[in-house]
Parts: sequence; C-alpha cells; structure tokens
Amino acid sequence: MADIEIEIDGNIVNAKAGEMLIAVTDREGISVPRFCYHKKLSIAANCRMCLVDVEGAPKPQPACSTPIADGMKIHTQNEKAKASQKAVMEFLLINHPLDCPICDQGGECELQDVAMDYGSDVSRFTEGKRIVVDSDIGALIQTDMTRCIHCTRCVRFGVEIAGIMEMGGTGRGEDMKIEPFLSEGIQSELSGNMIDVCPVGALTSKPFRYELRSWQMNAVSNIARHDLVGSNIYTQTYKGKVKRIVAKDNDSVNETWISDRDRFSYEGLSHVNRLLTPQIKVEGTWKEVEWNVALDFAIRGLANNVFNTHQSDKLGALASNTATLEEFYLLQKILREVGSENIDHRLNVKDLDHAISLESNIKLAGLEGIDHALVIGSNLRLEQPMISHRLRKANLSGASIDVINAMAFDFNYRLNSENIISPSQTAATLAGVLKSVLQNTNIEVPDYLAQIEVSDITTQLAEKLSQSDNSVIVLGEHIINNPQASSIANLVGEIAQYSNSTTLNVSATANSMAANMAGFVPGKDGLDVNAMLTADLKAYILLDVYPQYDFHHSIQAVEALSNDDTFVISLNSFKDDIVSEYSDVLLPIASFYETSGSHVNIEGKIQSFAAAVNAPSDAKPAWKVLKVLADLLELPGFHYADSAQVTSEVMHQSHKQHTHDESIDVKVKRDVNIIWQKSPYAVDVLSRHAASLQATKIGQINSASMNKATAKKLEVAQNDEYLGVPVDINEAVSNNCVFVNANHSTEAQS
Amino acid sequence: MINSIKKLVKDFTLSELRGGMKITAKELFNKKITVQYPEEKTPISPRFRGLHALRRYPNGEERCIACKLCEAVCPANAITIESEVRDDGTRRTTQYDIDLFKCIFCGFCEEACPVDAIVETQIFEYAFVGSRDGNDNTKGQFGSIITKDQLLEVGDKNEKMIDQTRLEDSKYK
Repeated sequence: MADIEIEIDGNIVNAKAGEMLIAVTDREGISVPRFCYHKKLSIAANCRMCLVDVEGAPKPQPACSTPIADGMKIHTQNEKAKASQKAVMEFLLINHPLDCPICDQGGECELQDVAMDYGSDVSRFTEGKRIVVDSDIGALIQTDMTRCIHCTRCVRFGVEIAGIMEMGGTGRGEDMKIEPFLSEGIQSELSGNMIDVCPVGALTSKPFRYELRSWQMNAVSNIARHDLVGSNIYTQTYKGKVKRIVAKDNDSVNETWISDRDRFSYEGLSHVNRLLTPQIKVEGTWKEVEWNVALDFAIRGLANNVFNTHQSDKLGALASNTATLEEFYLLQKILREVGSENIDHRLNVKDLDHAISLESNIKLAGLEGIDHALVIGSNLRLEQPMISHRLRKANLSGASIDVINAMAFDFNYRLNSENIISPSQTAATLAGVLKSVLQNTNIEVPDYLAQIEVSDITTQLAEKLSQSDNSVIVLGEHIINNPQASSIANLVGEIAQYSNSTTLNVSATANSMAANMAGFVPGKDGLDVNAMLTADLKAYILLDVYPQYDFHHSIQAVEALSNDDTFVISLNSFKDDIVSEYSDVLLPIASFYETSGSHVNIEGKIQSFAAAVNAPSDAKPAWKVLKVLADLLELPGFHYADSAQVTSEVMHQSHKQHTHDESIDVKVKRDVNIIWQKSPYAVDVLSRHAASLQATKIGQINSASMNKATAKKLEVAQNDEYLGVPVDINEAVSNNCVFVNANHSTEAQS
Repeated sequence: MINSIKKLVKDFTLSELRGGMKITAKELFNKKITVQYPEEKTPISPRFRGLHALRRYPNGEERCIACKLCEAVCPANAITIESEVRDDGTRRTTQYDIDLFKCIFCGFCEEACPVDAIVETQIFEYAFVGSRDGNDNTKGQFGSIITKDQLLEVGDKNEKMIDQTRLEDSKYK
C-alpha cells in the first residue's frame, strides 16, 4: 500500500491507501465522535455518529467505513459535518433514558461525553420512549438494555473475539433488541470485555454495581498473575481497596482484552478468610502476636529443628505458582545460603522423574501469524484464554488446527481434526507422528520407533506439520500427570525439530516461568517436592501453599507436614484449616495487587508491577517478610531496599534448570488414566475466593468425566462420587480415561 | 487634555469626599433600625442557604439516589457518600455525611442534585454538640459532621418550609 496524501480540515496528512478515514484521524489526534467503531472489531457503520464531509461526495460519509484515496479533502468540523453529527446525536438520544444519575457508566460514558459536545439542551421528542425488559445474563454482567443504542459492539465481540454468538439483535427498527439468545446467559470466559466495549451503560459490571463513580478511583497499572500471559490491567482503587479491574492495551501481550478470571478475581481480596495477623502455635493453641515475636519464634524453631543439629539438608521450601519472581528468588536464596537445596514449586506434578521439559520458542503475537497448530492435551479456551484467542485469530485468517485430546472440548474455532485419544496412547500416537515426519523427510528412523505403527491419523498430522511453513505445537496442561509425560514432551521436541515447527509449552501454570527463572528448583543434592514429602524433613518454609488444592499428593503432603517434630513456617494470604493444623507459625502476606514484583510470561517477558494497594491489617508483602527472615538468620547479601533491586539481581543470574529425563518411552499401557485438574476458576487462592466468578457456569464446573466403558470398569454410575467429585458419564471422553475438573478441595488423589 | 484638567479640578475641590459626606449627613436624621434578635427576626430570602436537609417523596421514600454529583461538585470536599444496591435493587446511599466545618454554603450541591434531594434550608440557628462525628445524637443536635439520618430528620421536620421556599423561588428559575 502506497503512501498517499489527503487533506483533513485544511492540513495535509500522510496515510496509506485503503485505510479507513477514522484510523487516520485517530492517529493524527483529530476527534471524530463514534459509537460502533472499535479498533479491534469489524466495521459495522451502523451508529452513523462519525459522519464527516468529504468534498465531492453529495452526502456526509461515515469516517469508519470510508477508505481514503489520494487527494481526498475531508472536513470534520465544517457546518455540514457538524449538522449531520448533531442530527444523529438527537436521533440516538430519542430512546436513551435520562437516567445518568443512577447509571454506573455515568462519568465514563461515551454517549455522555459526545452528548456534551453534540447534543442539544432541549429534547424535541415528546412521544413515549422505548423500554426494554432486561434478562439476567449471569453473575458478571449487569444489563440495562433500555440504555442500549444498538451499536452492536457486544454482538461483534461475541462473534469475532469470544467466538460464541451469545448476544444478538432481534426485531427491527423500534422493536430491535440486543439480547442473549440463551436463557442461561453469557458463558464465555472473555465475557467481561463486553463491559469495556459497551459505549453506554447497557452492560456494566455486576460485582461493581452502584459502588463508585469512575472519578473517585485511582488507576494503577498492574499485571494479572493467573495465567502464563500476564495480561496488562489497570487496578482501580478507592480508599486502599481494589474496586475494579479493567484491561490495559498492550498489543504484544493481551491486545485490549483480558479474561474474566483476570477481571473479577479481585473480589477475593476482601474475603473474610484473609489471614490478617501473625500467629504462633504455643502448646497446640494459636496465639495472635506481633510480627517480631512471630519471626523470632520462627527463627528459634528453625534453629532448634535444623541448625543446632547441623542438618540443614532437612529444611525444605515449597511455593505455589502464583508467587512473584522476587519471592521465588529470595526464598531459594535463603535456602541455598543456609545450605539446603530442597526447593520446589511443581506441587501438582505426580511424578517428577518424568516431568515435562520443553522450551517455548514462539512469541504470543507470533501465534497470530502461524499457518498450522497441533494442540496436545489442553482445553486451551478455559485454561489459557488469551493464548486460545491468538490461535483463534490465526485460525480465522486461514490457519488449520489439529487437536489431540483425551476428551472432546468446546473450541471456539473450527478444527482441522480432533483426535480423541486416551492418555495411555498419547505417547504412542506422537511417536507415530514422529515416525511419519521422519519418513517424509527421509531421515533414518531410530530404534525406539521401529515397533510403532503409522496410521492414517498420524500420517495426516505429520503431513500437516511438515507442509506448513510456520507451524506450532502446543503442549498442554493435561499431560503433566501422564505416566509418560517426559516422553511426550521429548517426542514433541523431536517432532518440532524435524518438521521445522515452533513449540509452546502451556503445561505449567500462573507464574511458574518466574520460578524457573529465579532458580526455584531443587539443586544437585536437593530433593524435589515428592521426595521431600517422603524424606522426613525437620522444617519447611511454605509460600502461599494450600495442600488440598495445590499438591498432587495432597494426603501424603498433609501427613508429612503434620508430623509432630516437623517445624512448619507458613506464609499465607488466606486462612485455611488444614494449614493451621500443621503449621507452627502463620505469617500473613500480601495477595495479588498488594505487593510489588514481577511476572514472567510464556515468552520469557518480565513484566514488573507496583503494589496497587497496601495489604490489609498486619499482612506484609512476602518479599519483605523473606528479606527480614534472612536478616534475622544473619545471612549475607540481603540488603534490598525495594523489590526492583531483587529483580535486577535475578536478571544477572544464570538460570538453573530442572534436571529432566531424556529417554522416550512409547509403550501403550492399558490402565485407567486420570487427568486431574482444578477447574478454571479454582486454579489459585484468589480466584477461589471471588464470589462472582464462582457463581458462573465455568466456576461451577466440578465433575469427573468418563465414558460408559470406563465407568463400568471403575464400577461407578452417574452422579456417584469418584475421588470426591461427582461422576459425569460422557461419551466425549476417550476410553480408559477419567477427566477430573474439581472446584473444591479434594483429598483423594491417585 | 481637557479630561485631565477636569480631573484635576475635581480632585482639588474634594467633590467625591463631599458626595460621601452628603449621604452620611442624610442618614444622621433618618429613623434608626434596631432588630431585637433573637426576639425579633428579619425576613429571609427563599434563596437563603442555611443548614442542609435530605428530602423524601410524599410516599416516604428518600429522594437521594447516590449519584454522587453533589460530592463531585462540592468545592470544599465536605460531602462523603457511600452507595450500594439496596435489597429492592435500587441505587441508595449507605452513608451521606456533610462536614459542616468544611462546608462553605455555596449551594452547589443543591444545584447539582437531579432529584432535589439535598437542599439548603433557611435554618441557620444550630449548634454543634457532642463529638465531631455526631455520635451522641441528642435530639435535633449534631456534631460538625451531619449524618444521613440527621439530614433526613431535618428534612422531615421542615418539609413544609422547604416546599414553601422552593415554590416561592420557582418563578425566578
């Protein structure tokens, strides 16, 4: 597209031929009013607010759908443009109620702003106004559809971005209504973005309803730590409380969207279950004490149990994956300084001897440019919504997507093929794909693939990968507890290498990339988490750990931690009965948005953030607690004034990696495999305490899905409990597989 | 030129001073006015801006809808409002405080109010009693911060007067 010159309001402006006029005026800072136009959505041109005068055209033209051409002369402010904009404004206001005083959008409303400039003081409309009866569309979005001006942004968002057409226009003219098609309401995992795109108060945030005006809050830039993306957000605060979260634009990370989990989890911050004061356990009863007393008690406990008897290797540190880069770093530094390498964050992995190790080597924005993807073992849409969104964009522009899953999931894009394969056969299938890839490229097939049979499926999958110039293999979370997890990851690595594909490892969660970067991994002589639990350690430092949710071997973990002569220091942001039972000291720490720190996303991008609010009551940011703990232990090298100093130290360290198994095992095993996962809104402690999220359809997912044959084998029926989760007989699940999505704490994990 | 000569003449003949003294001399012989306050009171304009009140609709429902426009417009930041969704789904305040020490009685809150809920009455004779937050609310008295309940009470007691003054002033609005 060539550069051309056009004239806007008498000024010469350079632009590219074919650009829409409104994109040029936006870039040049010329204000053109609009409602239906949104830079990330398709052009509808149905509000007519952006009418401008184009010389030569008999009538005013909508700027959002007028492509520019060389020599075009445009007037955005002349009489003709202004008159038509005013006329449109009057028309839009005919049916809009004058209820700004009770409308939550008041103060941040596009209609209000534009009406101030283009509206008339007095209405000439004396007829009755239109009234629309609202329907309840779920726990997250409040509707007041009488206020709707039919810009259809929400409808287009549903179709184009969320991939589910949940809202739609019915009726015509005066009778037109924007409403959900289904009585169950909105179920998309990105639904909250409709609140952001709605230019009026028709769609507003339900948890935030009637609480505050936009002008009362401070907006602090922040990073959401719920997934591997690290979406950029604004935390809007009022009197030291996070009151609302909205998306912040960052094209290389989250564009302009955020997931509902990022948007609504803040509710958990003010939950009554927050741990607020330091506590110590004296002779079996909890006592609330001052920080210095609690810390002294902790140090004495460590000294008695570990240091005085010279068994530093009997100290272990475990952290949940939501901790910040700095917290991971400081905790591992303390452990390494006192001479222990028992450090781990992979609490949810069943078998660490066969843990996944696979580098991601594609950027998030790069995902849009791929022409083929193979997704293995992931319900991507609910687990990593923003990554799924990028793949969807690629798919819409022509990329084909193949899936290998243990269960058929709802993808919001068209799949090239969906292969439902039981977990025990995943490795064998991938081995088949590798064999096909090697055969296609005439490379000698190694011995371990000799017995593997190449089927139609594997040939097709392999062909697609080999033929595509820019393909990616996505390895998902469901694989982590597959007995052949490491083999699967290694096979993916091999396939990627020989088919010239990139890889994306989404098997880890939250901020675990930061844990790896900070070296929060067991050292050469250190124990991994599962080894620690059986090694009879004398003391633990636990960072925001909730065993019933976080550990794969939760029963074993609770037992190990409850051991009488084990001294447990728990840094927690929320109260938990089990935690109080086994801990000896409880130190209250800041939760999300209450601490400064950094998130490392899947492409290795470090995003630092400041605290938006102070932690409630006596709770303190964990990095400060760890620093003081180190000072009290008289360890050298902990002179940090702020968390940024820690960050810069981390970045100058060489990264320690998990040791991993490089062998490949492709044998098919015939036993029942369980894929055990927290449901999407139960993945971290903050989301679990967010009431509105829990009230959604996704929040209530709690089932052990299996097909009839497997149910028969396990001798369970529909709605029975299997491992504490209701059974759902579902033929979408592959044979010999139970897919568990639990939203509550569970004890029995195999 | 001619102007500066005129001014010079005016200045030297003390014409302005004599003009002023003329009024003083006239007032010397006029009848004096003394109002025996508090027994006697001068009439008050219906636009007088005294103590605040929150009004109700005739059916007893409070008018205020927690739009917070008065809070936003208040130049002295004297108003504090917290709001919620009331059980019946309407938008209502849980807290409506005016710090009368901060208030400059400009009347902007009254002007901003879309539902005529907050008004300034003709009451100017009141005292601040008790602690600053008005916790020990003895009948009709309050601390420097007047709360929602107290504002509603003022409104309930003086609704007739408020209604009357608003009516009188309405023709000039």
